[in-house]
Amino acid sequence: MITFEHVTKHYEGATRPAVDDLTLEIPEGGTVVLIGPSGCGKSTTLRMVNRLIEPDSGTVAEDGRDVADFPPEQLRRHIGYAIQGVGLFPHFTVAENIGVVPRLLGWDAARISARVAELLELVGLDSTTYAEKYPDELSGGEAQRVGVARALAADPPVLLMDEPFGAVDPLTRERLQAEFVAIQARLKKTVVFVTHDIDEAVKLGDRIAIMREGRLVQYDTPERVLAYPADDFVAGFVGAERALKRLSLAPISEALDPADGAAVVGATVPLDSSLRTALARIIEYGVPVVGVTDETGAVVGSVSIESIVERFKRPLA
Amino acid sequence: MRRGLTLRLFLWPTVALVGYLALASMPGLWAALLHALFPGEARVLYQQASMFELIGRTLELVAISSVLSVVVGVSLGMFVTHRAGADFHDVVVDLTNLGQTFPPVAVFTLAVPLLGFGVRPTVLALTLYGVLPVLQNTVAGMQALPGAIVESAAGMGMSPWQSLWRVELPLASPVILAGIRVSVVINVATSTIGAIAGAGGLGAPIISGLVNADPAVTLQGALLVGALALILDAYLGAVEKGVARSVGIKEPQKARS
Repeated sequence: MITFEHVTKHYEGATRPAVDDLTLEIPEGGTVVLIGPSGCGKSTTLRMVNRLIEPDSGTVAEDGRDVADFPPEQLRRHIGYAIQGVGLFPHFTVAENIGVVPRLLGWDAARISARVAELLELVGLDSTTYAEKYPDELSGGEAQRVGVARALAADPPVLLMDEPFGAVDPLTRERLQAEFVAIQARLKKTVVFVTHDIDEAVKLGDRIAIMREGRLVQYDTPERVLAYPADDFVAGFVGAERALKRLSLAPISEALDPADGAAVVGATVPLDSSLRTALARIIEYGVPVVGVTDETGAVVGSVSIESIVERFKRPLA
Repeated sequence: MRRGLTLRLFLWPTVALVGYLALASMPGLWAALLHALFPGEARVLYQQASMFELIGRTLELVAISSVLSVVVGVSLGMFVTHRAGADFHDVVVDLTNLGQTFPPVAVFTLAVPLLGFGVRPTVLALTLYGVLPVLQNTVAGMQALPGAIVESAAGMGMSPWQSLWRVELPLASPVILAGIRVSVVINVATSTIGAIAGAGGLGAPIISGLVNADPAVTLQGALLVGALALILDAYLGAVEKGVARSVGIKEPQKARS
């Protein structure tokens, strides 16, 4: 768990504090996305966790211990760090890049190379093909994967990610996001993730912290941020299509009706997709109801346009 | 896989060096050629020392002063581009600029009373003269490091020294080496002035020819110095290229001086 208590940071020469009296609790094993327009203080907030930036006042604590009590180098070796543009060292091979923190921690060579192979497989890269490559031989997506593997190298409980998927094309980004969700479901790290992309925040965050001019405007689950924006700023930031974004967060099961004989043959969606997919299928086929199939292809229920609308009339907990 | 410093890079510089030394071992050939060029001259070769002795002394002067220039230039460059020394950046750069605009001959004049004649004032003058390109390129190389890379090094828990040795210096080294190359070449040429202060070397025939109106002797020294500078330039260029390749920079950066 990471806690910010009345943290303020004012850069020299700036007219207002970059981070202004921030109090925030990041729960253990969850992903918290810090989001907001440029200059809102999200990156400064992230960098105060591993002491790349020191607050002027207030405390940042990890599991109740003030981070200022740890020597910075020691602290950082136990906090994974992945940033935009990746920051891979161009003169190190992929294996050497991933092995940086384990080497700093004094692991022996055999343990490091076993860990490198394990991590490359985790991020979906074949270790025999990639271990000896140099960063300039990687595609943007591969480099980002290596960046994530490097951040995970010493199995840190906390992971800081500053727009780690910011520099790749949209298709690759979506794949990386999906992989991140899968990896995080397995590893359950405490992740602080900075982005300015609301779709990314909705997709990855257990909670979203929206910041503006150094202040925390709203801190809530993605679904509640979309349903109940705290003010006009948040409403504008999440965009006019926030209802559609909520649809993509809602599993089919939340609007599932019994199987309906009237469903058009072929107009079905898999049970594990979102209501957004169901709505798309409804529009695609021009029908009021679509069938829902399980993994064997058997129809187990249906979703209708009415049930979707009903689902969104229910207030959120 | 990436190729770094390979012996192949040094092939042509070495061929040139062997040819150079072979020519230096043949005073008879030089005498014949210079006689043909200057038929009226009685004295065409520098007599007080063999060409090997002259070359050796020049290399000695250049080696000592270049090592000093590199140590001073690189350390100052690293110092002023990091937090502890950032305040000194402008002062240091101005002072080194001054060091290079200050004529080496004037350094001799001022240093000889303190250090005596010979190698010492020459080394001092050459060192001061050679610091600037090294310093400039060290600063340029450090400032050109991508911010994400330096921040990654710190963010992963490298100490400032580990970051410097493992990341910053290796990545800036091609640019720094380009500065060293400029500095060494300048020093070879400038070292000839050392003959005035009695430091000997390839400046001796040049000055001697000048004083005694023996143009052939001056030409002998000038040819030997020019060729030596080119050969050293080629060697250092090869090192620069190999290092640039091994740290993943495709084209060696242009030297700034």
